[in-house]
Amino acid sequence: MSDTPSEAPVKSILPKWVRGPQDFVGGLVMMAVALFALWASSDLQGMHGFSFGAGTAPRMFAVLLLLLGGAVALMGLLNDGPHIAAYSWRGPLFVSAAIVFFAVSIRPLGLVVTAFASFMIAALGSEETKWLETTIVGACLTLGCALLFPYVLGLPMPMFPRFLVQ
Amino acid sequence: MELFANLAHGFAVALSPINLLMCLIGALVGTLVGVLPGIGTIATVAMLLPITFGLPPVGALIMLAGIYYGAQYGGSTTSILVNIPGEATSVVTALDGHQMARQGRAGPALAIAAIGSFFAGCVATVLIAVLGAPLTKLALAFGPAEYFSLMVLGLIFAVVLAKGSVLKAIAMIVFGLLLSMVGSDIETGASRMAFNIPELADGLGFATVAMGVFGFAEIIRNLDAGAEMSRDLVQQKITGLMPTRKDLTDSAPAIVRGTILGSILGILPGGGAVIASFAAYTLEKKIAKDPSRFGRGAIEGVASPESANNAAAQTSFIPLLTLGIPPNAVMALMVGAMTIHGIVPGPQVMVKQPDLVWGMIASMWIGNLMLIIINLPLVGIWVRLLRVPYRLMFPSIVIFCAIGIYSVNNAPVDVVLAGAFGLIGYWLIKHDFEPAPLLLGMVLGPLMEENLRRALLISRGDWSVFLSRPLSAVLLAIAAGLLVLAVLPTLRAKRDEVFVESEG
Repeated sequence: MSDTPSEAPVKSILPKWVRGPQDFVGGLVMMAVALFALWASSDLQGMHGFSFGAGTAPRMFAVLLLLLGGAVALMGLLNDGPHIAAYSWRGPLFVSAAIVFFAVSIRPLGLVVTAFASFMIAALGSEETKWLETTIVGACLTLGCALLFPYVLGLPMPMFPRFLVQ
Repeated sequence: MELFANLAHGFAVALSPINLLMCLIGALVGTLVGVLPGIGTIATVAMLLPITFGLPPVGALIMLAGIYYGAQYGGSTTSILVNIPGEATSVVTALDGHQMARQGRAGPALAIAAIGSFFAGCVATVLIAVLGAPLTKLALAFGPAEYFSLMVLGLIFAVVLAKGSVLKAIAMIVFGLLLSMVGSDIETGASRMAFNIPELADGLGFATVAMGVFGFAEIIRNLDAGAEMSRDLVQQKITGLMPTRKDLTDSAPAIVRGTILGSILGILPGGGAVIASFAAYTLEKKIAKDPSRFGRGAIEGVASPESANNAAAQTSFIPLLTLGIPPNAVMALMVGAMTIHGIVPGPQVMVKQPDLVWGMIASMWIGNLMLIIINLPLVGIWVRLLRVPYRLMFPSIVIFCAIGIYSVNNAPVDVVLAGAFGLIGYWLIKHDFEPAPLLLGMVLGPLMEENLRRALLISRGDWSVFLSRPLSAVLLAIAAGLLVLAVLPTLRAKRDEVFVESEG
């Protein structure tokens, strides 16, 4: 499976009369976001008299975004525009995985384990990673972070796994 | 006379050993970041915010300011030597700067960039000092209606000057405004769109979103292109830093023009260093006797944009310090830094925190001097840094960003949110939506809502208040005029031309 976006343009699932798929889909998604925001703020109080309620401004902006998204989609429909660029899966997947792993394990496992493991997970995001080199750099970086953040900068941060400390 | 007294006071503050050290560290870190491609100023300032938590407020802000203008310097170095702009502000510098380097004139190009930046920095420092007090007085005449109109103008500016579709840029701003609504309502305390997630009760952190759409999204996007970027390094040794007399006479007027243009664009909300450098380059090309020299190593093409971006980087502090309105995303992060130290930016800061304001202004001049002294000898080291392959750099940036976000609130959820915004940012890039207006909208959202509410409350629900108050009406008229200009086909064509050239 290849993840380079430079492959031949992906076959569009959109009908032919959509002339600028990139803008069309972009506009539709913006409209969806706006509708979601309208739904999410529907329980908030609106205008009472001439003063704003908590829900007034969010709904105002949501309606505005709905209109703008519609306009962007319409432009995409009527004007020739670029196709949707191909997404690669490898970079986003492993970088996200590294971030989520970091968030989940920083409290229980501490900075040292977390930083190193996240580094290695993130490194999977590129095909060009050389493992020996990456391990060495990862170890050095972890050491640097372990010294810099808690000691030099005085930020409170767990260092080692909880079960080891106890 | 008050001006000199104020400046003297500022220098007294800025020259204390600890503040000098902060200034030096900030300038060095900024240059380092500016040199490294793939990590922008916004992500860096966001990443380094936690570092300044433990410092006294003055030192913290001096350091953050140093990072900001240091990055402008560093970006130019890589533009010239490697043809990789480290910062968006140096994209145009690469056009002629790198050509000069190929002709063996890297030394003069670097020197002119540094001299231009220093000159612009000096002028901008004086400008901040001179304009600070009168603008603060003007700010006192501003009611909620004027504030709201000014912010509308700023957002429109950002739209007009953003790259690509005007419609999409406005959509991004509104998306940002909508995101800023998440969290507690300031007046009623009602929880809005937070879905009972306790971490969202305070709203989406600005640093979190910034790190997501500018830090993580940028990394993911770079990985698309393959981690190994081609690096067209100028291998020959850099000899003869000194520009010739002809270089100096050629570039002196360009530096002055760039400085003026940059200073003006920096003050306007929504403007900023990126636009300033593009505009300055276009101006030079327009007024040059022989425009064909541009792109082939014209020294004016280096001098003017470099002066402009530095001037704009500094004058963008003016609206922040006087009106309390952050004109761009980096300034919004500075607001965050100030808030953490219990300082509310706005007209009162000048009076209540003279140490902070004047100390920071004076430190900018000192910082610029430091940069010119340290940067030229350090060029070799910066270039060597570029040899660090991206495959090692990107996981490191991921980790630094993650630690940075985590330490802002000690909240793991923030890290996940930033990751989510990274994916959103990646999607936005794929659909050609600019993330910068989104961030500006997010910054100005709460301020706009508050002032809109207040204005309407004072006018008893009468919307015409925005047009009946003269100052507000003028601001809105300018905004409307700009928007009309932006959609007019002739200007659009020209505007696109500028951006196309710069990307070539």
